[in-house]
Amino acid sequence: MTPYEQGMAVLRAAQGPLPARSRGVIALLEENCTVCMLCARECPDWCIEIDSHKETLPPRTERGRPRVLHVLDRFAIDFALCMWCGICIEVCPFDALFWAPEFEHSATTAKDLVHERQELRKWLAGVPVPPPLER
Amino acid sequence: MIERDRWVDEVRAAREGGLTFFDLLTAVDTGEAGFEVVLHLWDVGGKRGALLTTSCPREDPVIPTLTGLFAGAGWHERAAAELFGITFAGHDTRPLLLAERFEGHPLRKDFVLASRVAKRWPGAKEPGESDADLPASPRRRPRPPGVPEGWGQ
Repeated sequence: MTPYEQGMAVLRAAQGPLPARSRGVIALLEENCTVCMLCARECPDWCIEIDSHKETLPPRTERGRPRVLHVLDRFAIDFALCMWCGICIEVCPFDALFWAPEFEHSATTAKDLVHERQELRKWLAGVPVPPPLER
Repeated sequence: MIERDRWVDEVRAAREGGLTFFDLLTAVDTGEAGFEVVLHLWDVGGKRGALLTTSCPREDPVIPTLTGLFAGAGWHERAAAELFGITFAGHDTRPLLLAERFEGHPLRKDFVLASRVAKRWPGAKEPGESDADLPASPRRRPRPPGVPEGWGQ
């Protein structure tokens, strides 16, 4: 066990389970992202990088028009810049971003704190079930 | 809101009333209304706190120092002095945090962050665009918040 792991074991034993509202890391559900750019524009730290391209789908009916689709190429959050404000999650109109309680994602270089879409998807596993809606 | 002429007296009265723990002193740039200086004191035994504020006009940013009451206010006043350009009368406000030759007061609302101008804004891209599309596009780009007209970009 490294000293870090020892420390974390002590911390975990002391704190018990994390509350569902914990701000550990941000997870991305890519299927919900429409590349609207709102999160990247609202982010006060400029830590979200999004690249995308346009694809044209053929018309679905005979008299229909072709549809233009935005396809995500890159979605990355730089956790070296992020200040855990959660504005990106609040502002996302399509529920593509979530808080996950996992907080052990420190890295030894700043470059490794940039989480690309594969890593952001990985965090989805820890996203808690949302509380039931008010009636 | 306490008049700045009464600032030291009122804070002394608060301390004598039990708020003996100096927690925090900072400032707020309220634009044309000038600067507010905010002080948080705490009553350790009674477990209650109080926020005291005073203000000064933008053209005359001077507030009397509290270091005569709380020695610990020194660093807070020095930080507020360099970040907001407020003079704390009666206190030595040498720079505490910023580099020696730094110009300006970075927490004033009219201070433009140079990195916001030098760095490319990720939000400048429209949906369906990547970095490669940016220079070629002739359309007017949305400006990042906080960067005035005519700066960079």
